This record gives sequence, C-alpha cells and structure tokens, in this order.
Amino acid sequence: MAVDRRGARLGVLAIVGVLLFGLIGTRLWFLQTVEQESLQEEVDSTKLRTVPLLPERGRIFDADGRILADNEGLLTVAVDREVIRRESDRTELFRRLSGWIDQPIEAMEERWDSVLYSQLLPLPLAEDIDEPTALALQERVEDLPGVQIIEQSRRVYPYAPLASHIVGYMGRITAETKDAYTDAGYQLNERVGQFGIELSMERELHGEWGEVVYEVDNAGRIVREVSRTPPINGKDIQLTIDLDQQQYAEQALQSQLRFRRTQTANNPLDRETQFTTRVFPEYPEEVPYKAPAGSVVVMNYETGQVIALASYPTFDNRWFESDLSDGRFEELFPAVDEFGEPISPDESILVNRAIQGQYNLGSTFKVFPAYGAMNTGLMGTNEYHVDRGTYRMESVDQDLCSAGLVRCVYRNALCGNGLPCVYGAVDMETSLAVSSDTFYYSLGERFMTENDYQPVLQEQVRQFGFDEPTGIDLPFEFGGTVPDEELKARYAELGVISEAEGSGYFTGDNVQMAIGQGLLSATPLQLAVGYGTIGNYGSVMKPEIIKAIYEPGVPDAAEPGYADVAQGRLAEEPNLTGEVVRELEMTDDIHGEIERGLRRVITGPGQVNPQGAYRSTTGEKLFATYPGGGIPLAGKTGTAQGAGNYPWNDSSAFAAYSIDRDRPYVATAYLEKAGYGARAAAPVVKCMFTQLSGLTEADPVVLSDPLDENDLTPAPPMSLRDTSCFEGQFTNFVPAD
Amino acid sequence: MNSSLLSRKPDSGLGNIRSSPADPSRNIDWVLMAAQFALTIIGCFIVFSASRTRVTEDPYAFVTRQVVFAIVATVVMFIVMAFDYEWWKDRAKFLYGLTLVVLTLLFLLGVASGEDRISFDLGPFNVQPAELAKFTTLLMLASYLAEERSEEVSYARFLGGLMIVGAPAVLVIIQPDLGSASVIVSVAMGVLLVAGAKARYIGLITVLAVVTVFAAFLGRLVNDYQAARIRALINPGAVGADDTYQAENAMRAIGTGGLTGKGWLEGPLTNGRDIPVMWADFPFAAIGEQFGLLGCAVVLGLIAVVLMRVWRIAHLSRDLLGTYLCAGVFTMLLWQTFQNVAMTLKIMPVTGLPLPFISYGGSGLIVYFAMLGLVQSVHMRRMR
Repeated sequence: MAVDRRGARLGVLAIVGVLLFGLIGTRLWFLQTVEQESLQEEVDSTKLRTVPLLPERGRIFDADGRILADNEGLLTVAVDREVIRRESDRTELFRRLSGWIDQPIEAMEERWDSVLYSQLLPLPLAEDIDEPTALALQERVEDLPGVQIIEQSRRVYPYAPLASHIVGYMGRITAETKDAYTDAGYQLNERVGQFGIELSMERELHGEWGEVVYEVDNAGRIVREVSRTPPINGKDIQLTIDLDQQQYAEQALQSQLRFRRTQTANNPLDRETQFTTRVFPEYPEEVPYKAPAGSVVVMNYETGQVIALASYPTFDNRWFESDLSDGRFEELFPAVDEFGEPISPDESILVNRAIQGQYNLGSTFKVFPAYGAMNTGLMGTNEYHVDRGTYRMESVDQDLCSAGLVRCVYRNALCGNGLPCVYGAVDMETSLAVSSDTFYYSLGERFMTENDYQPVLQEQVRQFGFDEPTGIDLPFEFGGTVPDEELKARYAELGVISEAEGSGYFTGDNVQMAIGQGLLSATPLQLAVGYGTIGNYGSVMKPEIIKAIYEPGVPDAAEPGYADVAQGRLAEEPNLTGEVVRELEMTDDIHGEIERGLRRVITGPGQVNPQGAYRSTTGEKLFATYPGGGIPLAGKTGTAQGAGNYPWNDSSAFAAYSIDRDRPYVATAYLEKAGYGARAAAPVVKCMFTQLSGLTEADPVVLSDPLDENDLTPAPPMSLRDTSCFEGQFTNFVPAD
Repeated sequence: MNSSLLSRKPDSGLGNIRSSPADPSRNIDWVLMAAQFALTIIGCFIVFSASRTRVTEDPYAFVTRQVVFAIVATVVMFIVMAFDYEWWKDRAKFLYGLTLVVLTLLFLLGVASGEDRISFDLGPFNVQPAELAKFTTLLMLASYLAEERSEEVSYARFLGGLMIVGAPAVLVIIQPDLGSASVIVSVAMGVLLVAGAKARYIGLITVLAVVTVFAAFLGRLVNDYQAARIRALINPGAVGADDTYQAENAMRAIGTGGLTGKGWLEGPLTNGRDIPVMWADFPFAAIGEQFGLLGCAVVLGLIAVVLMRVWRIAHLSRDLLGTYLCAGVFTMLLWQTFQNVAMTLKIMPVTGLPLPFISYGGSGLIVYFAMLGLVQSVHMRRMR
C-alpha cells in the first residue's frame, strides 16, 4: 500500500532523471560527432583583437592642494583602419573629411603611410578639434564610415613655470628606455615622465592599461565583445612643496641674481708689487659678476619635508606639451652653442641645481669639522687657537715647504686693507662667528696628525649625509664627494687631477677640506640636511617631497586651480614624522657651542683683534635689518672660490636654521659666480625667513596665463614685489668671507 | 557516538560473527562511496587542467585548495554518517533555526554595509550560509513531512512545508543568490513529490520554482558575485565578461573534443583564456575537449551511478524520513548536474550552478558530501 505508492512516486523521479540524462546524452553525441568538424572550423577561424584602454594619469598637488599637474581632454578624429584599406575608399573619405577638420588630404595620406602610428589602433587624423566640429562629425556618421571621435588627454601645468624643476615634464619613450617601459606594460606611443616628479613617480602616476577584447571574423569585422578590463587610473600625488613659499623663493632668487649682475668684483692690488699692479693684470679694475644660476632650499628639519626648492635658470614645463616644430624647441633648450660646442654648465636649464649642483660649500661647511673636532675630542669648547691671519703647516718637513714642493702656508680671506684678516685668540664658537680660516686649517692638519693619518674628518662629516644621495624622490640626484685617498685615485684615473696629485691623500688636502674647498662637493639640499641636523639635535632626516599619495580621482575644489584633497582617499598612510636616516651624538655642549657661534653670525658680536680693531661677524650687518618678530636664526656664510681664483668667480652660499623648534625651518641658498656669501646668498635666505615668518607682502600665487608660443623664452623673468628684505646688503662693508 | 564505525573488527569467519549483519558499520553503500570518490578525484584533475594556465603565480593554486576541500568534506561526511539520521532529525529544528538566524544576520550585515553579501569572510576561506541552508532545509522539511505518517500529505502540512522552504529561499534570493535558491526549491519539489503531495500542490510549487528559476536567468544574478570574486582574484578589474561568448566557447570546446578528445592538457580552448572561470562554471567543457564523448560518458555514468544508488536507498529505507531525505538529495544532484551540463551544451542559459563533485568550490563539495553522509546513514540503519 503505502510502500507501493511511495515506489510509484520514486518512479516518477527516476523517469525525470532518465529523461534529463537522455536529453544531455543526445545533445552531447550530436555535438561531438556530427558538429565536430564545423565547430573545429569555427574555432580555427575565430581571432581575438585587443584594443587597449588608456588610464588617466594621476595629478600632482602642492601642500595646499593646488593642482600643479593636471590632464586636459583632447578630442581627436580617428578612423578605423579596416574601413579605409582600399585606396578608393580612403581617398573619398579623406576628401569628405578634409574641410571639416581643416587638414589637407596629403597630410592625412602621409599619416596613413607613416609607421609612427600604431597599426592596432584607429588612425588619428586630427588632434584637438573643437566640440562643435566633433558634434557635427558625429551627426554625419553615415557619410563618414569608420570615423570616430576619440577622447585623449594632454598634460597641463596650471601654475607653470612655478616649481617646473620639481614637477618635471613628459616626453616620448626613448630608445634606451623602450624595453623597460614595454616590459612594464606601456604602449610605444605613450608619453612618460622625463624629469622631476613626473619621472620619479612615473609608476604611481601612470596607472594600468585596460583592454577590450573583441572576437573578429576572418574579414576583421568585430563579431562581439569578449571581455573588457577597465583601465586603472594613476594615483594622485601631493607634494610637500608650498607654492606660496616656492614662488617667493623663485622670485627672491631671480631678483637677487639680477641684482648681483649689476655688481662688480674688485680686482685687488697686488701685495707682491707693493700694490702697484693688480693681481689679475689682464682684467680691469672692476669685473661684473655673471651670477648666471642659483638655487634655494627650504626644509622642515623635524620632518624632512621640503617646502620650497628653487633652481635658476628655470623653464616653463608646458613647452614640453606644445607642438614646437622646425627646430624651435632646440632653440629654446639648446644642448650646443652656436659653434656646436656643448653649452656651458652656467646656462643649463634642465637641471635642478638644488639637488644636482656639484658645489664647493666654502665656509658653510665649517660647522661639520667643528662638530667632528668636538665629537672626537680633538678640541674642547674652552680651547683657543691664535689666528694670526696666516697658517703654516707644522707637520710637513719645512725644507719641502721652502723648496716650494708643498704648499705649506694658507691665508685667511682678505680684509679691507688688502691683507688677510687677523682675529687673535679664537675658540670654536668665535671661529664660526667670524669664519676664521686659519682655525680650520689648523683643525684640518690636526685631524690628520693626531689621528694617525686616518680619515677621521671624513667619517665625521659623512655622518651628516655628505657623500651619499639624500634619497629625495626626485631623479638625477648628485650624491656629492668627500675627498679621501680613494676619491683622489679615481679622479686621477679619470684625468680630473694629475697623476702626482692623485698619488695619495695629503695633509694639505685635509686643510683645504676643513674650510669646504678642494675636492669636497655637495648639493644645496645636502647642506640643508646637514644644518637641519644641527637644528634638531642630531637627527639626519631624509628629505621628503611627497606628502601623500591618493587613490585615483581626488575631486576638484570649488576654488579654481585647487583639488579637494580632504575628499581624497589615501593610497597609503603618509609618514608624517619623517624618516630618520641616522642619529648623531649631539651633546648639549657641542650643540650649544655650534649654535652660539652660528647665532653670533646673525646677531653679532664679532671679535676685537689684538690690534684693537673690531671684526664683525659675517652676517651681523646684513641681519641688523632682520625684523624683530622674525624666526630667530642661526646661520653661516660661505664663499666658494671658482675657476682661476678670480674674485668674480666666487660662488655665494648661505645656510641658516630656526632655533625655534616650533617653526623648524632650515634654508640654504647657493648663487653661482655671484660674490661673497654674505652679499649674494645670505640676503636671499634672509628674505626667505622673513617670508616664512609671515612678515612680508608677497605676491599671491595665481593661475598662469596661457603659454605664448611666439615668445621663445624658456620662462618669463620673475621678481620679488617687496625687496625691502634685501636691505643691509648694499652697505659698503667688506665681510671677511 | 558510534565509535565502532571507525574501528571495525575483522570478520572472524562464518559461524563466529561478532557483530550482527544489521550493524550500521557493516552496511555502508560502498558502490555509492566509490562512485562519489571517483568523481571527486576526476574533478581535481579537471580543475587543474582548467585553471593551471590562468593562474600566473602557481598553476596548482586551485587544485591544491580543492584537494583540501575534498579532505574536509570527507571528514564531514563521516561525521554525518556516524550519527543515526533520527538523531539528525531531532536536531533539525535547532539547525534550521540556526540557519535562519545566520542568513538574517548576513542580510543585516549586507544592509549595514550597503553591498551584496553571500558569504562570511573568514580569512583564507569564506563561508556561504546558503550552502548550509540546502542541508538544513532538506533535513527540516523531511522531518516535518515524515511526522505525518500517512502516504499523502495534507494540505495544511503542505503549506507548512512550503513555509519551511520559503523562509530560507527568500533569504537566499535577496542575498542575491538565485542559483542556490533554485536548488533549495528543487530539493523541496523532490521531497514533496515523494511525500505524496497532490498534483495541484506540485503544480503550485512548480510554478513557484519556474518563476524563481526564470528570474534567475533573466537577472543573470546567479552566483555572479561568486564568479566576479574569482575573476577579480585572477584578473583584477576584469568583470562583466560576455556570457554568450563564454557559453559559445564552452560548447565549441566540447564539440571539438570529438569521440576521444584531444588528450590530457592538450585542449587549446581549455588552455587558452577563452572560457572564463572554467574550473568552476564549465568543467564539463574541459572534460569534453580533453577526453571527448568517452570521457563525458564516464563522468555522466558515474553521476548516474550515484543517483541510482541514492534512488535505491530511498526505496530501501524502512521509514518515510529516510525516503524523503534520499529523494531530496536525488533531486538536488539531478537538478545541478542537468543545469550545469545543459548550459555547457548551450541548451540552458548560463547560471553559476556547479557540476556536483567536479566543479571547484569548497562549500559545494562539503554540502554534497554531508548530504551523501545522510544518505549513507539511511542505508546503514535500514535494518534497524
């Protein structure tokens, strides 16, 4: 009974099962026998065509969200290659299009024949057409088979030329970088970063290509869309640069360089001839400074964040997005001069001197041997050296000296009377305040003789980050050099110095190095890191230029030119406290001694020498006009001798940091061939700190006017609106250094 | 717990039988178990062949996980077997209630987070409560219907049964996982049919089922989320691949396999990128291309063996509960097999329903094994 009924119902289930299996089985048999061949043919004739989808490049913002690099939509008319494969079709289509897009038929034919355009993508016929034309073409799609309007994008720099060296520029993939980029999934006709952040952050900014895969038949017609992988747009990058400070730094640098070109260096009278002739008789009495180039660095020494980084000569990075032809680009950015010789380094534009400049630091460097001497116990805080204006090396055989085989006598810089300045008894603090050279000559020698000729000075100064790149996220950084036996041997091999010179590292080399001359070289950024390390009591910070990296699509703010970074989604947690490269031992004694010295540079007092004359510190007269409410500073001047030791080739350096750790800024300026440190570079830093203190009336940062393609200058000149901060530099005093 | 199962004593010869022939451990359906394991092992090979070229880092990534799933599923099956199905029946209400709670929780989580949710993410694996629902709903429905010891369910009881199926089905539909919902409904249909629901009741539930299934097809929502997850894992950003293209190529793969196939790992379409998520959605195409009609017949034959054994146990069962349980398992396996193979052959629209024992996927495998554990439990205790 019940069981029977149950059995019957189970039977129904079984029948359903048999039916379904039968259905499957029949279809299976049919497919795998009868249909097999035709399916195989179908498979063999089916091809896939992949069309890449361009990701939108990430944008670059300043610390306040100003959009430094943006993208601009660009409408391009393109045509499907398949449609115009036959010549008659092609000619007809080009004829119809020619008037609409204002492009001669020959030009379009030329593009068709060119190998520069991808064979896989539709052939672009005209770029940057206006919207009404695009609409009109789209309405006439029946008359124009295969014609399509493609949206492409172009890089725009709304605040150019400000911060051009930092933001950088783009260009075509070059032959050298081709393989690396194609391996990374790039398309050959893409433009990629060539300089600045555009280059160093290329991978983040670029994003990933997407693709659409179409199934096409034998004739190449699209049968259906197989898959679509949307592109992943590039990440947005926010810099630590504050464009207000950046603009001010660029303006101050340019104003000062222009002013220095109106100034002259005195061709001194020669002591040897009882002051009857000039030291450089072939030159006139006064020689103007060239002041061709320079740079400014402003950094927060607690976090390492770089706030401004100016380099001159500068350029407008929009030139790299414009279609300059007929050699006009080469005219703007020449690589060779009119005689076919490489241009002088003075004139190089596409180099960021703040991180690429290979400079002698002059006396700004003295801080580091001073630290080294105290840190290794070579000299205490209460020890004195008697500065007599000249220094004679004691450890060298005096016969060699008198025979002129070894230079044994070193002099201080000249004071107003044409004689080397004399300071008398000087301790560490005063040596920095008045910039006594003989004090450091002596230290340089003692670093050798009292340390078994081991490279102790080198080890001490390297701790501050010299002789290694700082690691800032900008390309082509120069790591600097600290002279030692190895460096001299390498230079001798390269022919930079003579064989004899390169045969060893001598005491004289150390004497030179102690005052920042000789083979020592560093960048203005390294100098800033070094002074920042004094300012923050011993932490060598990695300079940061990236403040934050955002996921694609940070929206625009209501105010034009700004992005609303508060709405952005961070791609990674930003490092707000900075990265400490190294912790140095910095006792309060050492720090105090250095800081007191550097403080006196700014505020005085100087030193009364044995003759009873007051020798002011190198900066006190200039900074006498520094506003009372300004950030309290400690700083140091430097004058680096240039080629031929001509006074007009002196390069000017200045570094200063805030002793107020709530406003922890460090700034350096380096002006090439512009004169004394106190005269050219120091006023720029003084102005910079006046601005950082909020005590200047600076130009507001505004969006740039469109680039004038008829005006072939790399960048229009800028100047400071209010130059009162330069006051104090025109007085006629002659600083020691 | 019945520990004798795992420590079965060797037979000591005739006349000295230590355990009764009715001892559950002597009544395992070895044919069923052999067919089931054979399918699972074949499945691992197929998953490997269909996934190895799509995973750039480790070609064994999917098959390794599948083997782990199979081991876990086996353990689950033995645990289920070890208990009397009556024991399970006593816990049906608790398990069913738990399922509803979990499904509701998932729904609320989904509402709170504003996105569709079909699984709980537990680190390396995610758990899909819908799979649990298939098992517990079957248990609950069978227990409930078996309470009425008559050959035909009353209308009231039919309505009760409908509600038992309806609650989890609705919760699963709104996840949305219409594929799983259709499975739950198919299970209910099998059980109700065998329980002797009147033709018009069956008609009603058929209409319901058809509506559900058609909604699934129209919405193409079936397990899309799951598929998208896997796709995103393999090829980030690649979503929305054309289903017709997928199915077209699956059919081509089978067809070009011919009688004996192109050979192990020799199928161009299986090796290529033409059939997305092949290891989960279209393993049957991989079988067809590599092993031809012969290979398909073997796999379908093994599934048929499993179905016949389950059907036989439904017949052998002494009580209604056992029969209902087996009938539910039977319809579930039949429905999934048919749906998956038929979509591969392009006679049914594409859904994400997996091919039992063969398709990649841990949750599914564990549920099939647990259900066959119940079936075994019925078989083992039929002479009680």
